[in-house]
Amino acid sequence: MTTLLAQAKIEGPEIDWAGLSPLIALIGGSVIVLLLGLFRARPVREHLVPFVALAAIGAALGLTIWQWGENVDLIRGAMRLDDLTLALTGLFCAAGIATVLLSWRHIAPRESAHGEFYSLLLASLAGMVVLVGATDLITLFLGLELLSIPLYVLCATEMRREGALESGLKYLIIGSVGSATLLFGTAFIYGAAGSTNFAEIAAAIADEGISDSALLLTGVGLAVIGLAFKASVAPFHQWTPDVYEGAPTPVTAFMAVATKVAAIGITLRLFDVALIGVSDVWQPAIAILAAITIIVGNVGALGQSSLKRMLAYSGVAQAGYLLAGVVVASQAGVEAAVFYLAAYTVMNLAAFAVIVARQAQRPDGDDIGALRGLGTERPLLAWPLTLAMLGLAGFPLTAGFIGKFALIQASVEGDYTWLGVMIVIGSMISLGYYLKVVATMWMTSSPEPGEAKPAGIAPGPPVMAGGSPEADDARAPWEVVLVGGVFGLLILAIGVYPQPLFDLAQDAAASLSGLL
Amino acid sequence: MAIGWYLAVSVIIFCIGLSGVLVRRNPLVILLCLELMLNAANLALIAFSRMHGNGDGQIFAIIVMVVAACEVTVGLGLIVAIYRRKLPIDVDELKALNG
Repeated sequence: MTTLLAQAKIEGPEIDWAGLSPLIALIGGSVIVLLLGLFRARPVREHLVPFVALAAIGAALGLTIWQWGENVDLIRGAMRLDDLTLALTGLFCAAGIATVLLSWRHIAPRESAHGEFYSLLLASLAGMVVLVGATDLITLFLGLELLSIPLYVLCATEMRREGALESGLKYLIIGSVGSATLLFGTAFIYGAAGSTNFAEIAAAIADEGISDSALLLTGVGLAVIGLAFKASVAPFHQWTPDVYEGAPTPVTAFMAVATKVAAIGITLRLFDVALIGVSDVWQPAIAILAAITIIVGNVGALGQSSLKRMLAYSGVAQAGYLLAGVVVASQAGVEAAVFYLAAYTVMNLAAFAVIVARQAQRPDGDDIGALRGLGTERPLLAWPLTLAMLGLAGFPLTAGFIGKFALIQASVEGDYTWLGVMIVIGSMISLGYYLKVVATMWMTSSPEPGEAKPAGIAPGPPVMAGGSPEADDARAPWEVVLVGGVFGLLILAIGVYPQPLFDLAQDAAASLSGLL
Repeated sequence: MAIGWYLAVSVIIFCIGLSGVLVRRNPLVILLCLELMLNAANLALIAFSRMHGNGDGQIFAIIVMVVAACEVTVGLGLIVAIYRRKLPIDVDELKALNG
């Protein structure tokens, strides 16, 4: 017996290091940043740490581009590296870079600790990459939790401010309920199909005629609810405005963008790959959820005076638009969803950058009143926010217009014309609050001219000075203005010349086979 | 014994956990109830693993335990931070962000 055990050779899974390299860059960066944060010297903590975090994300982005076009299973089918994974990883890296720049001189990392803040950010990014690449229920759950648990902590990093801890605890409780529901659902799916692998689940549904088994359908229902919590889809969205408002603004930007991309990404893969055989069951369910989400999100945003809360409700509505791409379960649907995810990322990051800049200038920077007269006083901040608002509302010549167009076209082609109509109605309602922001910026004047006094962030020595194009805008940290400007320009660039992004989205959609 | 009984127990535990999260006010009790929900899923996973005769469910359950431990660690950390700030430890009283 002992000799038998000694001779037994356990074959470890073959690991494709090249395919895993973006993930390794993020996790390695997370560890290095955590250790660097232990140094006592201020410049190391305040500038080297975020710089290394930026370098790690940059490396991950570079490796993602290097791997583009690969189509392989990693670690015996636990994850899949295909263009969908890579495209979404690129979006996460963009969101990560923007978040690091926005937090560079923000109060949140200083109040917790620089090393921990950026390390958790990188860990959360790694979780997102794991999640969107998952082709196994176990990997799915692991990725989801690796994404969420660091975020719970990041929400609470501004410990001394009222509401930060509350937002962290709220997110933890609601997020965990969502995860537990999803886990219970995956347990049922495993029970019905006898495997945790997506491809084997799809095969079991196709071959064994379990598509009407109560076990499987309960599992699918619970999985939909669990993912709806994560993607803040109504009626499971109530946590969103509270958590977005309470969290530090850079973290809010990261949550709003990257978490949504990850949640929609895994929804695409889980439903369009593993559960495609029972699409006649989940399609109507998700379509109704999408319609409710569009209405609830847009109506909820109308009455908000806090910009972060408004963007939270707007994010709920956008999740509804994105679900339309999932519902149709076609190539065009996935393509439109990926395209809109990219547009959504760019538009929201531009908007949040302006809010961060405004909060650095005055304590009530989150309030819509803080935007009065911004257009004449600080056009460098007003333009990105204007473009972001017009883009989110879906004006022509912006990324949002092209994205919505693609989503509506996909839903019409997929026999869900009424959902396309819902998207149009939602966009119409959304003009009510997006245009209010634009009007406040350009059509009212500042109440007390010259009042804007520096608050929140101490100016500090301009360490990164030199080569700054925004040197005239002394009070807002230049890197924040830069993020706003770059993403604002991208909104316009994608809107005017969308073809390259469409090609990328098409590649990503082509990596999902077996669609309807 | 038939799989149905194991499933029934696991569904009951899940519902107890869920109703606890919805009804109880003390965050510590809510964390306990979240653990109940996760463990209900574990029970279902292990029962299914036995039914199918493969190890996937058992591996899944072990990983869930690790994740549950991490979640509780973060949750307890947040509760301690709230306690130190002398905020009320009652989720109904935490309403600075209501809207």
